[in-house]
Amino acid sequence: MSAAPTTSPVPPVERPAGRDGKASRRRPAGRPGAGTLAAFIAPGLVLFLLFVLAPIIFAAYVGFFRWNGLGGPPTDFIGFENFANLIKDSVFLGDLWRVGLIIAMSLVIQLPLAFGLAMLLHQRFPGRTIFRLLFFVPYVLAEAVTGVLFRLIFSERRGFADSLLASLGVESDIGWLSDRSLVLFVVFGILTWKFFGFYMILYLAGRQNIPEELYEAAAIDGATNRQMFSRITLPLMGPTLRITIFLSIIGAVQLFDLVFVLTGGGPFHASETMAITMYEQGFQRNQIGYASALSIAMFLISFVFALFYQRYVLKRDLQGGLTGGGSNGGDR
Amino acid sequence: MSKPLNGFRALAAAGAAVTLAATAAACGEDSGSDADIVWWHIQNQDPMMSTWQAMADEWAEESDLTFDVQPIENEAFKERMGTSTQSGEVPDLFQTWGGGVLAEQVEAGLVQDLTGKLDCIDKINPIALEPYTIDDKLYGMPFDAGVVGFWYNKDLFAEAGIEQPPATWTEFLDAVQALKDAGIAPIALAGGEQWPGHYYWTYLAMRLAGLDGMSAAAEAGDFSDEAFVQAGDMLAELAEMEPFQEGFESAAYGEADGQAAHMGEGLTAMELMGQWAPVTQADASGIEGGLGDALGFFPFPEVEGGAGAPTEYLGGGNGFAVGSDAPEEIFDFMCYLMEDENQTRAVTDGGFTTVSATPEVIAPEMDANTQAVVDAMATATGTQLYLDQAYPPAIGGVINEATEGVILGQISSEDMVAMINEAWAAEQ
Repeated sequence: MSAAPTTSPVPPVERPAGRDGKASRRRPAGRPGAGTLAAFIAPGLVLFLLFVLAPIIFAAYVGFFRWNGLGGPPTDFIGFENFANLIKDSVFLGDLWRVGLIIAMSLVIQLPLAFGLAMLLHQRFPGRTIFRLLFFVPYVLAEAVTGVLFRLIFSERRGFADSLLASLGVESDIGWLSDRSLVLFVVFGILTWKFFGFYMILYLAGRQNIPEELYEAAAIDGATNRQMFSRITLPLMGPTLRITIFLSIIGAVQLFDLVFVLTGGGPFHASETMAITMYEQGFQRNQIGYASALSIAMFLISFVFALFYQRYVLKRDLQGGLTGGGSNGGDR
Repeated sequence: MSKPLNGFRALAAAGAAVTLAATAAACGEDSGSDADIVWWHIQNQDPMMSTWQAMADEWAEESDLTFDVQPIENEAFKERMGTSTQSGEVPDLFQTWGGGVLAEQVEAGLVQDLTGKLDCIDKINPIALEPYTIDDKLYGMPFDAGVVGFWYNKDLFAEAGIEQPPATWTEFLDAVQALKDAGIAPIALAGGEQWPGHYYWTYLAMRLAGLDGMSAAAEAGDFSDEAFVQAGDMLAELAEMEPFQEGFESAAYGEADGQAAHMGEGLTAMELMGQWAPVTQADASGIEGGLGDALGFFPFPEVEGGAGAPTEYLGGGNGFAVGSDAPEEIFDFMCYLMEDENQTRAVTDGGFTTVSATPEVIAPEMDANTQAVVDAMATATGTQLYLDQAYPPAIGGVINEATEGVILGQISSEDMVAMINEAWAAEQ
């Protein structure tokens, strides 16, 4: 924050190699010239332009048209109408609300659960590797497979969930996937089952990076467990915590496969996500223009969030983090 | 203001060109086969997959044409058709359901007008041609057709003391109540898939507004007529009786705990479904032969005071459309498929409901269920194609969605009509 580029432009420390041909030719080995740089960057750059940037630009362009995707390029230019309809669309607004709910539940339930388990599994006890492995297994399953699996588990008449309850003596008539007020929480439960292992592994790795000497020193100074946790563990796991929050939020915004297979977004939009609405509009209803506008909205949400998050939250982590020595600025 | 826009447009156009070129290149491979006739169909399982391959082989031998036959799974087919129509490269012969999707392809200049080109046209029941007829021109040849009606479990009806299938909506509601009183779930519905629900609203609208009223509304893109609101109200009234199986809100049609399986296992008394219902009931429930003789069929009841007649059916079928670049020899092949002998093969192997004008020649010994559908078609005074096929996909999708909303009590009938009108207005 102290070195905001707009107010005090910092002169470049070194001139980029290859600014002028002469300089680069005289450069000793290990400093590639402009031609070499171009040759190595070009393939990646071309692919990026062709398969990332071009489709984004194309989608943004199509978002300004009414277009069913058939018979040549779009011609019916309607300005911002698709975007105006979008912010009036109760389904889209509902999608935003549901994404918000899933993010909130992820931050309050899913990540803390993974964190707690990681702390437990960091302790030494027999069979700990087996537990680590078991908890990670759901993450290995494809999302679509998970969707099919839980469709069977929560099947209305012969599902495992109901059988299990029955064997415990509970006669349930819970509409796991058919009750509009319940289905989103069931979806969240499944998401948690699927992803907690992934976050747990990240937390475990983060925890293992903290040198034990710190704890030993703290113990000698008479720190309690609670103090060690709040003064050593939490701050030093900051980078991991921040990146998992980031991944969790972006994942929620883009949520599609699992829910699509599980409920198709129903009943009547109760579990619908932005990506499902986009799919319905674009591929089922041939409203390519409207779906493109929606995809641009999704893109902007993710993009703006990512920018702000990286700028203000991940700043220190991205500048070299803990092991990179003193960070270049904005450090406390 | 105009300058940056132009600049932006140029940039966007470049992006579009690149993307389109990439798509076209990717799809060109599919259709760019060396064969004379590229044929995409959706019978990707035996026996029909082999039967059609055999017919293509036979015709290839007779005519010196080469075939590239590609059986593709239903949903995958729709996706491939989507990309290939967008690139303007369609196969020579491909599956179509007619209606709004076909109309979009016609408008894009991708399919051939078949009017007067099929020598065997007289062999086909004219009523089966309706879905493929757009502005009095024929754009597809049907190979299977049928109607939607109530398939019911005679045993369960008897158990509830219902002596004969209801002929009017009032009788129908009475029957639903009688079944409920007897502790039987009256109706199986795949609420998780919206299309089975849309049959109810469509049929009520047909009975109230009549076929003329339906086509007038579609013509004008205006469903504000009282009949359409009333159709929604009557459907909501039915839904309030809670006639559907438990958990219908998320049920699928063909899965093991879905609508068809509920019928096949004899758990619910009836379902509103097309000619394929008996086969799907048996498949999804895993019970060979399904309900067998206990399964019966009755037309959607008459609505007292409505303009429609019970002999007007909601229906549709499967057909083939011809790509704009297809060679003319393809018409002879299509008529080869229509030959009596080959029609019989399709009926015996694939369980298709024949579109032949002389069904008694094609299938002299039909099972009772197929017979019921064939009889209904023979006596039909008019048909309406499933609305989610008849109308452009954007409107069909809204009708399906809104019907689900009405059934679940999430939106009112007025909301539904407003949604449909809005979708039509956007389409104009």
